[in-house]
This record gives sequence, C-alpha cells and structure tokens, in this order.
Amino acid sequence: MSSLVGFLSLVFSICINFYILLSIYIFKSKKQRFNFFIRLSSILTLLSFFSLMYAYITSDFSNYNVFQNSHSDKPIIYKISGTWGNHEGSMLLWLSILSIFSFFFSFTKNIEDNFKKLTLIIQAFLHILFGLFIVFTSNPFLVNSILVNEGLGLNPILQDPGLAIHPPILYAGYVGYSIVFSIAIAGLFQNTDDEWLYVAKKWSLISWTFLTGGIALGSYWAYYELGWGGWWFWDPVENISLMPWIAGLALVHSLMMVRGEQAIKKWIVFLSILCFSLSVFGTFLVRSGILTSVHSFAADASRGIFILLIFFIITGFGFLVFLLKEPKKSNTLNLLFINKVSALVINNILMIIATLTILLGTIYPIIIEVLYNKRISVGGPYFNSTVIPIMIPGFLLMSIAPILSWQTNKINNSKKYVLSFIILSILVLIQSYFLDFNTWGFVGLLLGFWIILASIIAIFSSYKVILGIKYFKIINPHIAHIGVGIAIIGITSSSIFQNELDFNLSEGDVFKVNGKTVLFEEVETTNQINFQALRGKFLFDIEKKQSKKIEAGKNYYPVSKMITSEAGILHQWNKDIYFILGDQKNNEWFVKVLINPFVSFIWLGVIIMMYSGLIAVTKR
Amino acid sequence: MSLRFQRLLLILLTLVIILSAVLLILYNTRENVSYFYTPSEIEKSEIIIDKVMRIGGFVENDSFNKISSSSFIFKITDEKASILVTFKGILPDLFREGQGAVIEGAFSDSNIFNATNVFAKHDENYMPASIKEDLKDTGYWNKKYK
Repeated sequence: MSSLVGFLSLVFSICINFYILLSIYIFKSKKQRFNFFIRLSSILTLLSFFSLMYAYITSDFSNYNVFQNSHSDKPIIYKISGTWGNHEGSMLLWLSILSIFSFFFSFTKNIEDNFKKLTLIIQAFLHILFGLFIVFTSNPFLVNSILVNEGLGLNPILQDPGLAIHPPILYAGYVGYSIVFSIAIAGLFQNTDDEWLYVAKKWSLISWTFLTGGIALGSYWAYYELGWGGWWFWDPVENISLMPWIAGLALVHSLMMVRGEQAIKKWIVFLSILCFSLSVFGTFLVRSGILTSVHSFAADASRGIFILLIFFIITGFGFLVFLLKEPKKSNTLNLLFINKVSALVINNILMIIATLTILLGTIYPIIIEVLYNKRISVGGPYFNSTVIPIMIPGFLLMSIAPILSWQTNKINNSKKYVLSFIILSILVLIQSYFLDFNTWGFVGLLLGFWIILASIIAIFSSYKVILGIKYFKIINPHIAHIGVGIAIIGITSSSIFQNELDFNLSEGDVFKVNGKTVLFEEVETTNQINFQALRGKFLFDIEKKQSKKIEAGKNYYPVSKMITSEAGILHQWNKDIYFILGDQKNNEWFVKVLINPFVSFIWLGVIIMMYSGLIAVTKR
Repeated sequence: MSLRFQRLLLILLTLVIILSAVLLILYNTRENVSYFYTPSEIEKSEIIIDKVMRIGGFVENDSFNKISSSSFIFKITDEKASILVTFKGILPDLFREGQGAVIEGAFSDSNIFNATNVFAKHDENYMPASIKEDLKDTGYWNKKYK
C-alpha cells in the first residue's frame, strides 16, 4: 500500500514539473500558482520518500526493495537508514533533497521575480531528469513477486550510526549545487544587477558546508569502522566527493571576493556549472560500476548510460549558456602583483589544478584500459605526491590572503609576519629535530602552525575586539583558515608520525604501548540483537587506578554471513590509540596497535570550517 | 612596478604553476601507478622480482593456511593459473576461500608473491570489473557473482 502511494506521488511530482514547464512556455500562466506548484511537487516527492521509509520501518517485504535490503531483526535506526542504504532509495533521497532545496528557494524574498522563476524552472527541469531516471531505471517501489516474511538484510558494514546519517548530509552537499547551478544560469539570462551573486553565495556556502560534513562523516566512519587505522584512502568514491568540494571551495572564495568584475563573474558561472557537473559525474562513475571501489554498489550498465545522458544534458546545456551569454554591468579586474584579486586568481588556479589532478588520477585507469588494454591502479602514492605539492603554495597564500589590500601591493605589518614566520620555522625545526625528522612532516607542521599564527596576528592587529555576533562575522575568514591550519596539523601528524606496533598475545599477557602497560584480559563472545560479537578486552595503563577499558574485535552477522571489524579506540586529546584484533592460532592472538597522533585535530578543524561556513551564510 | 609588468609577472607565475603541475602529474603517472594482472597473465609473462603490482582473482579453495596468527599463505587463482601468496598482518573481514580478492605486493622470488595489501571489498559478491570481463571471456564465470 505504502509503495503504491509512494510511486504515485513520485509520478505526480514529475507530472507537475512537466506541467510547470509547459504552463510557462506554452500557456503563459500567472505567478502565484507557480510557487504553489513548485511547493506541491516538493511535498509529493517527500511524501514518496517517506512512504518508502514507512515501508522500511514496518518491514513491508511486499516491496522488492525492502525485501532486498532490510530485515525485521534490525534496530529501528538501521531500518530508517536502510531507506537510503541502497541504490534506488538513495536516488529517491537525491530527488527529495533537490525538492527541499527548490521548496526553500521558492520562499526567498527580495529578489527579482523573473530571476527567481527561471531558477525554479531550471530546478523543475532537473527534477524531471532525475525523476525519470528513478522511474525507469531505479524504481524503489517495485512489488515483490514472491510472498516472503523475511528480508535479505542490510549490509552489516552500513549498520553504524555515523554511516546512517552520512548519505543524507553528503547528498545535501551534492544536490545543493543544483540550486547554485540553476541560480548561475538564471543569473546569466535574467538578472540585470548583481543580485544573483549574493543569492548564489548563500546557497553555495550551504552546499559546501553540507558537503564538508558529509565527507568528514564518511572518513570518520572509515576510520573507526573499517579497522585500517586510516581515515582517507584515495578511493575513487572519496576522490569523487573531493572534486566538487575543492571546486566548491574555489566557488565560495570567488563569490566572497567578487566586486562586480566581469571576468570573475564569468568564472563564477563556470565554477557553478562545474560543481554540479562534478556531482552528477561522480554519481555516474559510482553507479555505473566503471570504477573499482570499496563502495561497490550494485552496478547496472543501463543506469550508468542514463546518468551519463543526464550528465551530458546538464553539462552541455550549462556550458552552452555559459559560452553564449555574458554577465551584465561590469567592472574591470583590478589585478596587481600581490593584492586580494591576484591572490584569489592564483588560489582558484591552484584549486582547479588540484581538482583536475584528482579527476585525472581517478579516470586514468579507464583511459589506459581503453587505449592500451592494460589495467592499472592509481592509489595513494600518486595522489599524495601530486595533489599535496600543488596545494602547498595555496596554503602559503592562504595565510596572508585575508590581509592583502584591494588597491595596492602593500601588506600591512609585513615585518611582523616575516619575523614571526622565521621564529616559527626555527621552533618547528627544533621540534622536528628532536622527533624523527621528516621533510613532509616538517613542511606540514610548519604550514599548519603558520596558517594559525598568521590568522591570529591578523585578527588582533586588524580589528578591534568587540563583543557580539558582528565581531565573529568580521573575523570569520580568519577563523575558517585557523580551522584549515588545525586540520593540516592533524592530517600531517596522524599520517606521517603514525606508529604501528604488532603483538602476538595470549589471554592474560601484559605488554607495553607508548610506555604504558596494557593487560590483555580475555576474549569473549556475546550474542547481540542481530549479530554475534567477539571482543578482545584490554586494560590500558594498569599501573594507574583509573585504567581504561578498550574492546576490539569482530561482529558476525548471521543474516548476511558477514564479518565486520570493530576497532577499539582510546581517544585522547593528543592521540588516538587504536587497537585491532587480528586472527588467532593456538590461543595466540595477533593484536595490532596504532598510535595516531593528533587525529582529533582533523575533526576539530573540520568542525571549525563548517562553523565558518554557516556564519558566512548569515553575512551579507 | 608598472601595472603591465605586474601582470606579466602574474602570468609567468601562473605558467610556472601549471607547468610544474603537469610535470608532477607526468612523473607520478610513471612512478606511482601499479599495474594490475590476472594470475594467467603473470604466468605468461616474465616475472620481475620486487616490482610492485596488483593481482586479482579468487582465493583458491583449500589453499589457505595459517602459519601463525599473523602470517598466512594462500593461492590466488583465475581457474587457469594460480599464484602462491604470503601475507603478514590482518586479513580483511571479507577475505575467504572461493571469494574474490585483490592483492598488492611484489614477487620475492619467481614463485612466491609477497602481498603487502589484501583487498576484499564491501559486497561479498564483489569482483573487480576487469576480472569479471576476463572470466566471462574465458567461460569461467561463476553465475553467483553479480
């Protein structure tokens, strides 16, 4: 029943969007009804999504999708997240988020009517494309032809709170770029003043913040769930999310710096189209199964071709408009050797090169296979040694960019900065001499600390401290950069100064980790609701009274006959101690302990960046 | 500095950035890319010791042996040829006999492959797309794998 409601409302929502397009261009209808129809279609799409969710919650196995991906044993939260834990449901989620964005955009006030209308028409057009895609190739409302009382179960690795909310947030980022895309194109056609830039800035900041959150959740999940001890693997799916993120970062910076310059406006339109194209392209690569990835979603060639078609329509249409139309009313570019504008230009060039490098590395295996019929894999080493060097000048620039002037080459207080940079370099050099010296480690730490220091100097020397929200809005760019600096410190230390210890232990053994004594108490098996848990129990720092318990082990899910690793992580502010329980032979267990310094700084940095993103949304 | 000179400097700087990026990419696509083979391709070609590569296939049935709790020996096969692999560390959760796996490492002598990484992916029916093609071509395709 709920499947029927879901399917019908989905089809109706698509019909309404068709009607919107027809009524504007064929029947030339009035305005008030237009907003009404946009909102109606959004509500219907959401209704469709919630019907699917309802089917999941009630374990309605007459729905084929529910049967394939759910099981009545699952805890309620994973029944809900099961809705988007599969291809069909996740595409419906994609469409629902698109609708939500249109819905909220339809309430925007104080913008020109024609511009608003055109933006929503482009959204309606996108809604039709993705709606048809769902109906024809990935319908989540198919009826199960056989009568069953039990489903096949959700992939156990996805049964995790972090991953339950990861897809909606990530998708909010991806799909958010649809509205930026629509705004940019509508802006080219309609807007006589530069109002669209302000609107685009707001929405692109929202999307970027969501995308940041989505990526961070995904990598946090990988960190504690996959049991590899790392948080970023340069997996194709990760790369795909990183591309619109970097392009989106370039877009946000351009939007904040634009002062009506023709060239930058054009560039903004280009970036807006690029961001959304990259999002759709990413979906195509993932869903078509062309790329070999740890996220091996069920792949289906017809879906791949359909999404490729959508990609070509969107990108083709976008760039065609981009080539034909010119932004109106413009100032010329005030480009000096080192002022705000030139810093922006160089920052954008670097970000685009980084994006292209990642794109190239991601699709390079496909190109080689087509051309030479050889199979290769491009992994971490390529990306680390290509992307990072490209980003370094950008990071250097970032530390001083906010204090550059608009009109001249002068840098205020330049002596202060040079002096503090020299002192900092010496300090970091001394510090790294006492630890094991490592060139990349030195560069990373220096950059991270320098960005933070330069931002703090800039805050205190350029603005008077006033208490109030306004102050936080003024210093917001510096705060964002401090977040980046903190994240760089976390990334550098956790990847370069990671320490790995291997042990072969029997129950009751005592061993040393980082100078602290650890007791391997016992291995215990327990039965949970829908899995069996095997846990190695450790007591960390037994010499102290308040020693910490750590449990690492594996879960066995009988429904899908799968095992997942559960790392035991002891979080401390300056390091994570990461326990992985390996295999056993003759009652000897293999235990791997990773010491990851300053991992928490990565997440802290990301949270600061997201905070800045949100503050910037409220800033005019 | 005249405005024109400043812009010239900027353009030069941009060109330097782009050029170094291109050089980096070219260098890294030569150095940091590992080739991907099936066991029968390995058998046909000459084995170069210590060259890093990836091999994909199935874990051969009854070939898996635990030497200790952290070192393992098993065979990777594509039903035509098989390769003896040793691995030290923790095997992925989805690793088991009869399932698809990709190993990364190098040959330590002409018949033992030392794996440094073993990948077995999310989906228990996972098979790298490329190997799927090969197996389909040779008729060894197991219908169970999507």
